[in-house]
Amino acid sequence: MMFHEIFITRHSFEIFNDIILFPLFSIIVFGYMTLYLVGSTGKIIADQVLSGIILWQVISIAQYSVGVSCLWDVWSRNLTNIFISPISIKEYLTFFAISGTIKGFIVLLLSSILAFFVFHLNMLSMGLINMFLMFINLAVFGFSFGVVMLGLIIRFGTRVAAFAWGLINVFQPLMAVIYPVAILPQPFRSISFLFAPTYVFEAMRKSLNGQNIISDIESAVALNILFLIGAVIFFRYMFAKSKETGQFARLEG
Amino acid sequence: MAMLKVKNLYKKFGEFIAVDNITFDIKEGEILGLLGPNGAGKTTTIQMLLGITTPTNGTIHYFEKDFSVYPQYCLSQLNFTSAFNNLQGRNTVWENLIVFANLYGVENCITKIKKLVTHFEMDDLVYKRYFDLSTGQKTRANFIKALINDPKIILMDEPTASLDPDIADKTLTFIEELRKERPITILYTSHNMSEVTRICDRVIFMDKGKVVAEDTPLGLTKRIQVAQLRLTFNDKKEVIVEYLKKEKLDHRFDDGHVVFITTEEKALPKIIFDLSKLGIWMTDIEVKKPTLEHVFLQIARGEKYVFQ
Repeated sequence: MMFHEIFITRHSFEIFNDIILFPLFSIIVFGYMTLYLVGSTGKIIADQVLSGIILWQVISIAQYSVGVSCLWDVWSRNLTNIFISPISIKEYLTFFAISGTIKGFIVLLLSSILAFFVFHLNMLSMGLINMFLMFINLAVFGFSFGVVMLGLIIRFGTRVAAFAWGLINVFQPLMAVIYPVAILPQPFRSISFLFAPTYVFEAMRKSLNGQNIISDIESAVALNILFLIGAVIFFRYMFAKSKETGQFARLEG
Repeated sequence: MAMLKVKNLYKKFGEFIAVDNITFDIKEGEILGLLGPNGAGKTTTIQMLLGITTPTNGTIHYFEKDFSVYPQYCLSQLNFTSAFNNLQGRNTVWENLIVFANLYGVENCITKIKKLVTHFEMDDLVYKRYFDLSTGQKTRANFIKALINDPKIILMDEPTASLDPDIADKTLTFIEELRKERPITILYTSHNMSEVTRICDRVIFMDKGKVVAEDTPLGLTKRIQVAQLRLTFNDKKEVIVEYLKKEKLDHRFDDGHVVFITTEEKALPKIIFDLSKLGIWMTDIEVKKPTLEHVFLQIARGEKYVFQ
């Protein structure tokens, strides 16, 4: 499956756009916005906004690579061929986890380099271990979210394909990516703390202020484990239901 | 040993029964044709045999192993090709084959792919993107993919659909050649009765989810006892009409000089002899024997006589 991913990425300009160009353009836009903000809010706030956008790309790419990779095969009428090979669900999902993590890391690396040279933001100032812990948590959440989207696509077909691109953005305001959770109204704050990334972005802001982030990371890990288990159970259920109703066989037609 | 054993396979979608308690098996080296009109349940059956649709009831055993218990093992030993499935269109043929060789855990996959590519005369096309291939070339690429793991059994769902007669014939020849090389077992669905007659050892007819007939292609055609005689004559039409009425023979006139007589095959020589004795000058005689297509039409339409 990794060969499959490498080959199709090599031949698809859209994938290059989606996982490299668009994230980098997004960094550039927010980067200049933060340069503008530095004058009125100070460098710390500006760095928090840009760091949030950079780390958000990890979630975005990790979830995108699950749903869209499957859709490439649906559109090509190749999904049946994949699923009648002796690949197990566990292997299929593991491939997405690895592929999403690698893509997320590449985007994080490129974005960080861009931010360092153009916007004078050093992501490593948060500490290498902190960065690693935040990255892993965001990648796991992105993957889990992608697995849920994949379950919906397999169960309901390509009519919900747009979820693979867009649905994550619906949750972005709740995850306090570029502002602290405290900004949100009280009812939304409670919902916000149901998502692991909220703790990661809070940790990011603390980290940039030189504060300890362990308790936030612990909360993120606990929620991620629950969400990951739930996502896999949900996917297995949707997959079984899709095969039971005949939807899976109709996905390509 | 049966390569595939299907017992009481049943699939219900809501209130609709797509496959209704079908039972059959395929022996090693056998090519079994699965035929039936649209909506007969063939595709649902194939989907269940591939594990992409879950049966409501019944069992599927490949090589004596329960498919529901050992899906990965069974899938590693079988393969599938269809006119309705493609490989990944953006990747080249070579890249697609590398992917599937790895998915099936093929050892020495480069050598294996090269051998198959040469066998299917695709050496010059292997670095082209799959989407850029013609329909015939895609079919050949699909066949290579279907053979990449040296499957014990291949499921073929209308592999020649949408191919021109030349490429369809070459595809059948590939199957025949393949069969000479090793005892390959195939489940073959098609709407083309002549190709089923050509390559299948045994045929199962499905209709409304049930198996309604099972025999060799020849055995099935023998079930239709009638044949059709097409006579072209010069004159004396009224004599022929009188004779056919007297003998109570099923007939129709195509134009002033052609008559089609449908009757038991063994009665045909007597009719020709009788008409000759009546002084009818016959310029052309053609006997149309029942084919698998007639069996198909008879089952699909439920008609006694299928010669129209």
